[in-house]
Amino acid sequence: MTNRSVRNIWILSAAMGLTFYGLAASPALAAGEIIAAFTKNQVDPHFEDVRAGVEQMAKKMNATVRQYVPTKPNNITEGMSQLEDVGVTKPSLVLFMPIDPKAQLPTIKRLIDAKTPVLNYNDRAGDAPYLAFVGEDDYKLGYDIAKTLFDHLGGKGKIVILEGIKGSNTGDERKRGFDAALKEYPNIKLLASQPANFQRLLGLQVMENLIQQFNDIDGVIAAADASALGAAEALKSAGRGNVPVVSINGVPEAVEAVKTGSLLAIAEFNGFKIGCVATEIGLKAIRGEPVPKQVVIPAAIITKSNHAEWLVPYPERTCPAAASYIGQ
Amino acid sequence: MTTMEAPALTSHPRQSLAPGTLAIIVRVGLIIGIGLMMASVSPGFVSADNFLNILRQASLLFLVASGLTLVIIGGGLDLSIGANLTLCACLAAAAIKSIGQPAAGIAVALGCGAVVGLANGVLINRVKIPAFLATFGMLWVAQGIAYWFMAGQVIYGFSPAFRFFGSGFWFGVPVPIWVMLVTGACGLIFLSRTTFGREVYIMGANEAAAVLSGIPVARHRVFLYVMSGLMAGLSALIYVARLNAAEPGIGEPLLLPAIAAVLVGGTSLSGGSGGLFGTLLGAIILTLIVNALNLLNVSASWHPFVTGTIVLLAMLADAVVNRGMRK
Repeated sequence: MTNRSVRNIWILSAAMGLTFYGLAASPALAAGEIIAAFTKNQVDPHFEDVRAGVEQMAKKMNATVRQYVPTKPNNITEGMSQLEDVGVTKPSLVLFMPIDPKAQLPTIKRLIDAKTPVLNYNDRAGDAPYLAFVGEDDYKLGYDIAKTLFDHLGGKGKIVILEGIKGSNTGDERKRGFDAALKEYPNIKLLASQPANFQRLLGLQVMENLIQQFNDIDGVIAAADASALGAAEALKSAGRGNVPVVSINGVPEAVEAVKTGSLLAIAEFNGFKIGCVATEIGLKAIRGEPVPKQVVIPAAIITKSNHAEWLVPYPERTCPAAASYIGQ
Repeated sequence: MTTMEAPALTSHPRQSLAPGTLAIIVRVGLIIGIGLMMASVSPGFVSADNFLNILRQASLLFLVASGLTLVIIGGGLDLSIGANLTLCACLAAAAIKSIGQPAAGIAVALGCGAVVGLANGVLINRVKIPAFLATFGMLWVAQGIAYWFMAGQVIYGFSPAFRFFGSGFWFGVPVPIWVMLVTGACGLIFLSRTTFGREVYIMGANEAAAVLSGIPVARHRVFLYVMSGLMAGLSALIYVARLNAAEPGIGEPLLLPAIAAVLVGGTSLSGGSGGLFGTLLGAIILTLIVNALNLLNVSASWHPFVTGTIVLLAMLADAVVNRGMRK
């Protein structure tokens, strides 16, 4: 080995060592409990909202948060590895949302058996002795927003559905809600129902293709804001910007689209509130306070007339108290 | 000689048609076959609007795949194009928002793409890291920077002047199609009408022979990676203008379809043969399949299966035709 190679190896080793030292030294640990908070990806603003809620409430209650997010969006393999890592690090509290409930349930049960307290939030994660569940009712979100569109159409018209990810709990429950509402409106005809995987580009392209097939689309239901925004873009490009589009979530961009009329309405799936309440309930539980087994946060329908509340930036929002949702 | 032909490397004494021409015929036949089938079952399929719709969707895929085609013909591989596109999209969107000028975004996107491409080229040619590993590492680096930079948020809402690149029409044809035609034509001329282009085929087919014949392989390869990066940057601009948003997940789903477009188009993964016209056909085939499945309202659960089957049938047809020509 030449001197130059040896020198390069030393430089490389020093750089890697400094990088890891910097990463390890960067989070200043607060006193109090350590929370391991799981979210599904770094690309959907909804999960950023969840993380913001968790961070705000943890800070308020003097706990430290370690965020666990797969580098590849919704990657089950990474999600499983991160769960196993948490089994080793043994945090005071785990806030868990499943990527695949069936695949992750055995690992979660092992964690709980090993005396790690786990609270399930955002999406239901199967039957296990969780501290509590905090989230919203995806079925009801789907049902309510579909009814909002059908009522807007006067109970008559032809619609298309852009589903979420087939097989995902969130996507399937929302779809079940759409279908239940459809059954109540015999004069609403479903032209097509295609997955757009909660994605903007897929929402755009699937809608572009459906526009070619159907000349008379009266309304669009999307399972998430991103695919709704893509669909609205496709409709606008095709000169059909007047077709009403509804969705679920309520990220700021979509709320602005409601304000401008690009979207008709959104069923609020508020990640920030879920993050806040889950953290509060979880910390109270491990501190020995009594907590309910389930907190379902009620969803508002965001429309042009009430949208202002959802345009407030997250740093300026304040976590709601869990007590205001208990018993609802 | 067609652009699908590796010069004097794949000819066969008894062949009357070059393999490249045959590959083109097979793919055009496949497109016509799907088109005829769809015309008979879906009234919405045969319309100028739908053809422009298919071409517009294919143009986005072609732009991502075109730089990759050059790299693969030259014997390399670029796994970082999707992540590079993501990073360029996010940085360009931020530049447009902060400076307020589309020109700033264009400069940032192309600059970002070129820098990532140059880094790939240097890692592969100077540091001697295999192309697969170097670009795989760069994929994570670019994606990681994009995640950090965007912090889970989306940058959205651009001026009509910028959006024209993704959503506008020029002479009744969507602008992304014009961009595809211009870049495709430049690429075709580069590969088939320049010495450099022909040298790319030679170094892809036999690097050792290329070095012995005096071709500056290392310099050429760096140039190809920079070109691939530039195309990722250009694609990023078109995607952001089309979607009116930049998000940190924008490019991640594009890597495999881009590789598929290159391979379905007839470019060999081992280098030395193929071309941009083939990649264009590959992009059209993949887009056409999805368009057809959407129009037929086929459940999305079947989309991957049908796409995979048709791709395999195209490869099988290639093999059968080539065997027939050799008899």
